[in-house]
Amino acid sequence: MEFHNGENKISCSKKYNWLFKMSVVDVAPLNSSNSDDFAAFLDTELESTPNTSPEPEEDADETHHSDINRTKRQKIEVMESDSAANESTSQHETTLAVDASVKKNICTHPSGMLGLCTKCGEKWDNQSGVRLEYIHKDVWVSDDEAARIRERDLKNLLRHKKLYLVLDLDHTLLNSTHFIDGDATQEEGYLMNPSDPMQDPLRGSLFKLNSMQMMTKLRPFVHTFLKEANKLFEMYIYTMGERAYALEMANLLDPGKVYFESRVITRSDCTREHKKDLDVVLGQESAVLILDDTEEVWDKRKENLILMERYHFFASSLKQFKHRCKSLSELKSDESEADGTLATVLQVLKKIHTMFFDPDLGENFSGQDVRQILGTVRSQILKGCKIVFSHIFPIDFKAENHKLWKMAERLGATCAKEVDPSVTHVISTDVATAKSRWAVHQKKFLVEPRWLEAANYLWQRQPEDRFPVNKI
Amino acid sequence: MFFHIVLERNMQLHPRHFGRELREKLVSKLMKDVEGTCSGRHGFVVAITGIEDIGKGIIRDGTGFVTFPVKYLCVVFRPFKGEILEATVTMVNKMGFFAEAGPVQIFVSNHVKIQKDSEVRLKIIGTRVNATEIFCIGTIKDDFLGVISDPAGS
Repeated sequence: MEFHNGENKISCSKKYNWLFKMSVVDVAPLNSSNSDDFAAFLDTELESTPNTSPEPEEDADETHHSDINRTKRQKIEVMESDSAANESTSQHETTLAVDASVKKNICTHPSGMLGLCTKCGEKWDNQSGVRLEYIHKDVWVSDDEAARIRERDLKNLLRHKKLYLVLDLDHTLLNSTHFIDGDATQEEGYLMNPSDPMQDPLRGSLFKLNSMQMMTKLRPFVHTFLKEANKLFEMYIYTMGERAYALEMANLLDPGKVYFESRVITRSDCTREHKKDLDVVLGQESAVLILDDTEEVWDKRKENLILMERYHFFASSLKQFKHRCKSLSELKSDESEADGTLATVLQVLKKIHTMFFDPDLGENFSGQDVRQILGTVRSQILKGCKIVFSHIFPIDFKAENHKLWKMAERLGATCAKEVDPSVTHVISTDVATAKSRWAVHQKKFLVEPRWLEAANYLWQRQPEDRFPVNKI
Repeated sequence: MFFHIVLERNMQLHPRHFGRELREKLVSKLMKDVEGTCSGRHGFVVAITGIEDIGKGIIRDGTGFVTFPVKYLCVVFRPFKGEILEATVTMVNKMGFFAEAGPVQIFVSNHVKIQKDSEVRLKIIGTRVNATEIFCIGTIKDDFLGVISDPAGS
């Protein structure tokens, strides 16, 4: 790099050379012709570039190179004409200049933008590594450079006692629906009429985006959530939606552009179809937490993921997921502001943040890993519970691979296949199974599977009497 | 770098503009068409400063439009490799920052502590020119380069 700069200096000095010559000419008494002279000179300079080449970029390059050669020659001439004593220095100069042109090729081109290397400015069309469309429409960063950026960025972030937080949009922070295709049910009609008094409680969180023919409801508590989380995290939006939609939503969530700036990642940035991954997030994996309502898309990063309960405000959104119940919009109600999902998750985030920046560690947090901490926090939830499932898994299904079994283990419970006195909970949908009857007889907790899911979403063991198994 | 040069353009004019004001019409259309555009060879046309010559018009077959060859004086802005520019930072991200010097967008990688809206002095190390846009790569790693004023004004 330094040598390259040196070379540029040479070409600069050449440029200034002629400027200097110009000013020498200008000292001539006729000041009035100054500007004309100058323009004429510039004209000839412009004309001197070869006209035949169709690519102007190459013109510039060629003149650049010939500039260097000319300067080199000039330099040598000057040196030689000086005196014989200086000859050794002149040789030294030439070798330096040659060295410079050799060293120049050493730039590894760590990243490129619109066909130029961002480090040395040379033409570089190699499109390898990861593409970061959300930074600029045509940016490529090599894997090594991405790793370097991550490392540097993490150090900087840890100094500010912050971590990374990747947020999904739909069903996590908000809920959107198209309003033209007749999706709205009759009970939702009041949403269409902005002057309807029913809308009063929704003011400030319900938005109608005419340009996209969409209606968006922000999740209760989202503004407080972002404000608080911003103190502890550097936040990204990562959505499978279109870029235009994501930017519009980012604008609703963050009108002042203080939370996300340009960190909005959308479908076009994804490196694998229908999957999200952290490779486009320039953050070290050991410091990234993810909030998303869909587990499948993060198949490689489940350890970083905090699964969110889906937020369905509109009826069309429930229909999309094949739920048959009244939507919040139809019931004219909403999630609780004070102890809804976002408020719960914020508490968890704060807890993890405090554990990560453990004061006992002094100032060295490089050994910390959020994935471990997240696992520890999670495994405290059902610690001490021993669970037996009854009539949950299909016959011939390997119980250990079932979603609920894994979930129970992640939450810190131990799972068993057969009942024994140490078992604390039996999870079933049917009171009539042998294990269910055993549970009732032995005064063990008999709960339905939702008890497990609720504990998973709410990060707390739920009162068992709220999840009784009903007689069929 | 700015240049004051003579450029030529063939202007097509609708017959309804023919009359005493023909010359004025031509000039105002020229300004509308040319100012703010970018050509790979000459860079951005910043302003037209005068008309050198308007040639004889030729009627186009079939349409009635007349083509006038117009020579005009204009100020153009063309960034060069090695040029030093002062620019305003428009966006900072993890890879570096974007700055704008008038119509030219410049990217500088690997910055330290650069804030949005501050002014920087940078050196252009690479340019990419297409028909409508000039994009540059710059650096602030050299003597006398870097931030020259903070957004806070301190």
